Amino acid sequence: MTAQRKSAHLGKRITPYLLVIPVFIYYLIFWVQPVLQQVIRSFLDPTTGQLSLESYRLVLTDPDFIPALRNTAIIVVISVTMEFFIALFLALIIKRDFWGASIFLFLAMLPMALPPVAVGAMWKTGLTTNGWLNSLLHYVGFLPEGEKIYWLAGSTWKMLALIIIIDAWQVIPSVMIILLAGLQNIPKELEEAGYVFGGNYFTVLRKITLPLLRPTIQTAVVLRLIAAIQIWLIVIVLVGFSRLPVLVERIVYYHEEVPRLNISPQMAAGYTMIVTVIVSLAALIYLRLSGAFSRREGG
Amino acid sequence: MATLELIHVTKRFGKKVVAVDDFSLRVEDGEFLVLLGPSGCGKTTTLRMIAGLEEVTEGRILIDGEDVTDLPPRKRNVSMVFQNYAVWPHMTVYDNIAYPLRLKRVDKKTIDETVREAARMTKIEELLDRYPSQLSGGQQQRVAVARALAVKPKLFLMDEPLSNLDAKLRVATRTELKAIHEKTGATTIFVTHDQSEAMSLADRIVIMRDGKIEQIGTPDDVYHRSASIFVADFIGTPPTNFIDVEVQVRDDQIHLVNPYFDFPLNPENAAKLRDYPKRELILGVRPENIVLVSEDEAIFSTQCLVSEPQGSHQIIAIELDGKIIKIVAPAYPKVRSGETIHLNFKQEAIAFFDKDTGRRIE
Amino acid sequence: MSTRRQWLKILRGAQMMLFYLVVITLVFVIIGPVFFVVSLSFLSAREAYSYPLPLLPALTVRYQLTHGERGYMLSVYDRVEKEYIPVLDTDDLEKMATYMRSRLGTSVTVQDIEAQIARLQQEDPVYFTKRANLLHNYTTFFQITRDAVPSLIRSLQICALTILISLSIGGMAGYAFARYQFAGRDLLKFSALFVRMFPGIAIALPMVIILAKMGFYDRPIGLSLVYAVGNIALTVWITASIFMGIPESLEEAAEVFGATRLQAFLRITLPLALPGLAAAAMYAFLGAWNETVAALILTQFNPTFSVVVYQSLVGATGQINLAAAGGIVMAIPTVTFTYFIRRYIRQMWGGVTL
Repeated sequence: MTAQRKSAHLGKRITPYLLVIPVFIYYLIFWVQPVLQQVIRSFLDPTTGQLSLESYRLVLTDPDFIPALRNTAIIVVISVTMEFFIALFLALIIKRDFWGASIFLFLAMLPMALPPVAVGAMWKTGLTTNGWLNSLLHYVGFLPEGEKIYWLAGSTWKMLALIIIIDAWQVIPSVMIILLAGLQNIPKELEEAGYVFGGNYFTVLRKITLPLLRPTIQTAVVLRLIAAIQIWLIVIVLVGFSRLPVLVERIVYYHEEVPRLNISPQMAAGYTMIVTVIVSLAALIYLRLSGAFSRREGG
Repeated sequence: MATLELIHVTKRFGKKVVAVDDFSLRVEDGEFLVLLGPSGCGKTTTLRMIAGLEEVTEGRILIDGEDVTDLPPRKRNVSMVFQNYAVWPHMTVYDNIAYPLRLKRVDKKTIDETVREAARMTKIEELLDRYPSQLSGGQQQRVAVARALAVKPKLFLMDEPLSNLDAKLRVATRTELKAIHEKTGATTIFVTHDQSEAMSLADRIVIMRDGKIEQIGTPDDVYHRSASIFVADFIGTPPTNFIDVEVQVRDDQIHLVNPYFDFPLNPENAAKLRDYPKRELILGVRPENIVLVSEDEAIFSTQCLVSEPQGSHQIIAIELDGKIIKIVAPAYPKVRSGETIHLNFKQEAIAFFDKDTGRRIE
Repeated sequence: MSTRRQWLKILRGAQMMLFYLVVITLVFVIIGPVFFVVSLSFLSAREAYSYPLPLLPALTVRYQLTHGERGYMLSVYDRVEKEYIPVLDTDDLEKMATYMRSRLGTSVTVQDIEAQIARLQQEDPVYFTKRANLLHNYTTFFQITRDAVPSLIRSLQICALTILISLSIGGMAGYAFARYQFAGRDLLKFSALFVRMFPGIAIALPMVIILAKMGFYDRPIGLSLVYAVGNIALTVWITASIFMGIPESLEEAAEVFGATRLQAFLRITLPLALPGLAAAAMYAFLGAWNETVAALILTQFNPTFSVVVYQSLVGATGQINLAAAGGIVMAIPTVTFTYFIRRYIRQMWGGVTL
């Protein structure tokens, strides 16, 4: 009887582990393994196989490193803040039931669904001097005959602004749907109670809705933060390599554009590690500051 | 039909939380047993252990003498009505009732007869083709009961099945449940936190508190012979009044003394306290056992604080020793707030409780 | 009192108008760029490179034919300049027909041109109109892009495999997350962050070797295995949210009434979770279908459709109207799935937060 009982209990207790183990094995093979290989590679000298910090020295003395770091930082800070507020605004709009809300939601999700390749094509054809953006401005009378705006030429700041705007266009929906789901899960009565006790729209939003939405906001922002630091595709599609260096663009540059340089593997490995450290630190600091660790999960 | 035995059953969540603590109980064949207690007292956990949905940490559960402690729910031949009904939303009412029978590989014709029989008993024959989303809460509750009836279980388990219904429907449904129980005679374990529900349905009531059994008894037992302050307070609306008193022996008589009154006990009550060592205890009096009397019969007089007419009777509140004491009095003569009233206790219906343990003094 | 009420009504109306103004502006911001690419994919090659770009594709093309220095002079009506622009002067009718097909997007045969030339005897110049072949860019894209069709099939295979892997492995873990307390639950939750912290491109390179060892390099299964890493993490969250939304008591009821745990899951929980799981599958599809970079690195002779479109975009022979057509073909399934997914946002994202 005790033996039977033990096995019955064991069976029930190990069920969750049986269900979860495949995930961890999968991660081990297809994530931990390649990551470890990369980490180790960054500490080895490629010719001698000796322990070496050469990769890091190379990256830190790379004249593109500081600009890449600065550009990435600017993009991240502005993008994440701006995208969050616009996404929140959109989510609050869609949450209220209005005529066409369902179709508007679909449209709002559209940029997220479009393949990055298609989005690249879209903005590339739009921003060239003979592109549709200039054509459109011409049609609405904004651009006089013969005059054109050179979107993709000019200062770093102008390009940064363009990239931030285009990035926002594509990723706001993914932030929005997470926030929207969170908003829809807040019981209506809690907000209604706020109105009954004399709150207006903004006080209820600030004092009731947003605090309740905090876990969702943390989720959305941290996911966005991690992705924003790793921005590169849109940069390359729009301005090409090296004109506006950002951290991950450097990795791709040494992997794809100049893979045969002597220093390329070390550069790529060094940048990879630095990006990983920055991403992890940023995520950790954000989660700590926003109090995600001090809160216990309910239910 | 079956008997149920729980022998020293304990349930711990993790290492610290003890949800059910050394619970022993025997339920007789055909009995309607109610587990009653405030939320968090372990009554639902006990029911779920009987159903097999919750693992037993220590102790054994026997159904019809057979040890089912380690059997999965499906091998226990019990049925259950859940608090939120747990009616499967993607099946019609008919399929909801029939699915358990199909699982038991009952033949098609018998299933059909059984489903219709259960639907007839619960008056949902016209709803058989509907989906749960098309039903009201009350109708869903009936489906849950019909489903539980149809499997002809050894044990019929109900986890607060009426708590999601509105007040009027709740009272009507409980009458029907009682009628169904009388017709089927199925051994039933019913969990509730509503004492009036427990009183009206139960053959016996088990009152639980913090995972332990506080008292087991018939509705009369728990009402008139409450085993503890907790039970006396939990059962009855308004609940029992508790008054701190001092025991004094004078002229060979035992007196109960309080700044407001001083009266001798009758021989039966005095017998209970003869060997009681402490001088202070708590007097428990149900509201209907404090009576309005003329001034010379009274043991104390006070002002009426509030009176609430209830039609058939009135509830009078007075203040005694800083506590509100409630009295259930006949509807007439009407007592007005501020009026001086004269009161006495029905000595045959008062109880004494130990000040430290809260247990009844016999 | 009644004037106050009228004022309130006007105020509310103004509020409503402002609200819809915002909504409509947003719609334009979102739709605008998409509209232009769609429009571009229907333009003829000549129009795609003109400035300003026509807003809408032409349904018909107007031609003018006259005698030229080298043979016959073909002119085409320009919708922006509002006049006939000479485009080709040749006596090779075959060449002219090809030009009219590939550059101007009209289906024209040599016989058609001969018929018009015959008319030159009576009148000079001759005017004629041809119906524009709107799908011209699409058919051309598939004709001239080597691998377009096989890569399309390959991409679909990859998506199916990715869905299969991430939904089975991730779905199981999601179910465990929703129903059980166990050691490592938080680790599972945060794994969605971990796997995103390491730049994907940096994993793709060592994966070449790992996949080659397994014999999966340059094969659909190899890419699926890579795509599944990020997708599993997401699928765990999404499926956990979905299962959390299905009351556990429904399963418990089935168990009490005679079902095994597995039966209860298959007969009760799974059917109820199915729409949400389908949405999760579509989500996984979006990720796998859209991915380009890992596909570039991890394929050699067997590219995915997104790689093919990418190359038509950046390649030397790339024509923007063809690239636009390729992009639109790529976007069709994703847009369709998004339309279905939108109802399940709450189900998919409402349960798990950090």
